[in-house]
Amino acid sequence: MRRLEIKSCIRAAAALALLVCTAGTRAVAEPPAPAVIKIGSLHAASGAYASISMPVYDGLKLWIDRTNADGGAFVKAYGRKIKLQLISYDDQSNPGTAATLINQLITQDHVDLLVGDSGSVLTAVAVPIAREHKMMLFDPTGTGAKFFTHDNPYIALLADPASTIWPKYLADFLINQGVKDGLKKVAILYSTNDFTSTQHEALVGFIKASHAPIDIVFDQGVPTSTSNYTTLIGNIAAASPDAVIELGYVGNDIAFLRNLQDSGQTFRFIFALYPGIETDEIVKNVGAQGIDHVFSYVTAQALDYKPTVGMDVATYRQAFETAYRSQGVAFGFNAIAGYTVGLMIGQTLGAADSLDQLALRRALFAQSGHVRTLDGPFELDATGQQIGEITPLGQLIAHGNTVTNVVVYPPSLATGKPVYTTP
Amino acid sequence: MGRGWRELCLIVLPTVAIAAWAPNLYGNVLLLFNFVLYITLAQGMNAIYGFTGYLPFGYVGFFGAGAYGFAIAAMAGVHPAAALAVAGGAGIALGLILTPLLRLSGAYFAIANLAAAQAVYQVVANPALAPITKGPYGVSLSAVFAPRASYLVAVALMGATMAAIVWLRNGRFGLALMALRDDPVSAASAGVNIVRARTIAWLLSALVASLAGGAFAWQISVFYPETAFDMSISIFAIVFTLFGGAGTLLGPLIGVLLLYGVYNWIGIAVPQYFQLIYGALIVVLVLFLPNGLVSLLTQRGIRVP
Repeated sequence: MRRLEIKSCIRAAAALALLVCTAGTRAVAEPPAPAVIKIGSLHAASGAYASISMPVYDGLKLWIDRTNADGGAFVKAYGRKIKLQLISYDDQSNPGTAATLINQLITQDHVDLLVGDSGSVLTAVAVPIAREHKMMLFDPTGTGAKFFTHDNPYIALLADPASTIWPKYLADFLINQGVKDGLKKVAILYSTNDFTSTQHEALVGFIKASHAPIDIVFDQGVPTSTSNYTTLIGNIAAASPDAVIELGYVGNDIAFLRNLQDSGQTFRFIFALYPGIETDEIVKNVGAQGIDHVFSYVTAQALDYKPTVGMDVATYRQAFETAYRSQGVAFGFNAIAGYTVGLMIGQTLGAADSLDQLALRRALFAQSGHVRTLDGPFELDATGQQIGEITPLGQLIAHGNTVTNVVVYPPSLATGKPVYTTP
Repeated sequence: MGRGWRELCLIVLPTVAIAAWAPNLYGNVLLLFNFVLYITLAQGMNAIYGFTGYLPFGYVGFFGAGAYGFAIAAMAGVHPAAALAVAGGAGIALGLILTPLLRLSGAYFAIANLAAAQAVYQVVANPALAPITKGPYGVSLSAVFAPRASYLVAVALMGATMAAIVWLRNGRFGLALMALRDDPVSAASAGVNIVRARTIAWLLSALVASLAGGAFAWQISVFYPETAFDMSISIFAIVFTLFGGAGTLLGPLIGVLLLYGVYNWIGIAVPQYFQLIYGALIVVLVLFLPNGLVSLLTQRGIRVP
């Protein structure tokens, strides 16, 4: 009888312990799912960065709208789909305002995921704030090298190659093929901002390191606010270069290409940064003939990757233009970048064990090398820089009022051969 | 108790105490920092515009010089407190270099000052100076990043600047400045050393902006020349000062609290109408209250501190 009582006691204690453990486990493993996942972001509806910021914002918004229409994003931490809520403030291209609003998103809105604004200047102020609050910063296109350090785990560049990667194929082309084709004297004109100055530095570094017989006969930085290149074009012509490389923002490229047309000067090889990135915007302002035979980068919109997640470029372009046709936002690389940010957020939520910021980071980094979007292969280095995307060299060919970007380098991706103009 | 002490005890000290305590009540410390920063800048603007009539459109030049003075010193391993002194020194040095601008007046001075600020910006952003200023590549001060300490420094600077305005409003030197603002010839004939007085007010104003720039650099810690020399900093400082009422202690303070408060409220609550509402507000105020809010009281003969 006594043994039976002891056995009963042990059974009861074991059952109680099991109950407590199970309840405890359930409490830890299944916290109540939130009604919405809050995504905080910034955009610049006006000011210097509006032209690169708004397409990114619209692309992200489109992804959120479509995801919500599909019932929400699958969140692994809760094992079900949850609707997304976008909280986005307009920083008006003002870094001080951007800093305040990023803080607002973290401290007052308590967003679950934090997305920075476009470009390095507006992203810069968000980097230390996100780090201080231990929030993972989903960085769309802020490529500043200083953001990415081994001691800061709270940032990842999602949709734009690191600045040093951009001019790699341009440099390789000049070194490996350009010299053979007689492009031995190079003029470089660049805007003095982080994005283009870093590319300039990398390009010059690649050329010098190669010891190729390339002479840089003109090398000048000008303020990003420069809007008249007439005198500079004259100075470049006086140096008699075979190749002219202009690295600027959209506004700089438009002014440079217009002034070049007006000047009547021609060079065998002219490279400008944005005709291949924001082609529609450049054509709208310069005309198709204004960029005929101009060399530029080839980005996702011309490479037409076969994505493993999300839409391909053609389908996405149609969806984007349907959604934003009335707002006049041009489709281009930045529109793709915004959608790519959304896709990677979706992948992160679908893989993260919790919404803890470091868990989100682990889930995002786990995607590296395993995902291909319409923007190309997604690959991060240890500091969070995007290294999967590439920017081959292309040449824009006008057909009436339209333009196609022909890949000319590297040979493995080439769809045509370079055509040099006669000065 | 004299008028100056009353203003110090009833306005300056409570403002400093509230600003120092505010982070315990509201989590967006950077927003509070910006309030403190703009109160300081508006009062610095007040020191030169309110008391001498010189409107420096390029005020951000001193701010940026201070930010980069702090950054260069901090990157060289200097303690942040000493780096702030370097920031102030950079502002004073730039102020001395630009002293000849005081020979101009009105719109000519404003435009020349704006051009000077742009010139400083271009020098700082020049890639050839990258070994010193980091040029267009921006600076990162993560080694000295201390948001709470830099906030408290900014609050102390705000208090000191407001105290300086109290001194100007109630002291002999401030009266001399106001006299030369209203009629330089009469002031000179009454024994006011015009050049010396203007130069001191100019350097005081430059010192305030450069120290504010130093505190800003410490608070933000990662920035580009575009950030430190952003023209909107000048514009905000001018608009807030004019909105509240230049030449007073309360005017710029009210200007910042109301206008920057509204600015942030619109930007956060109804961002889609931001430019419409904010623009309309400023147009209405310029049309109906050109001398600032305090003129509502001064027109009725009420003295505003």
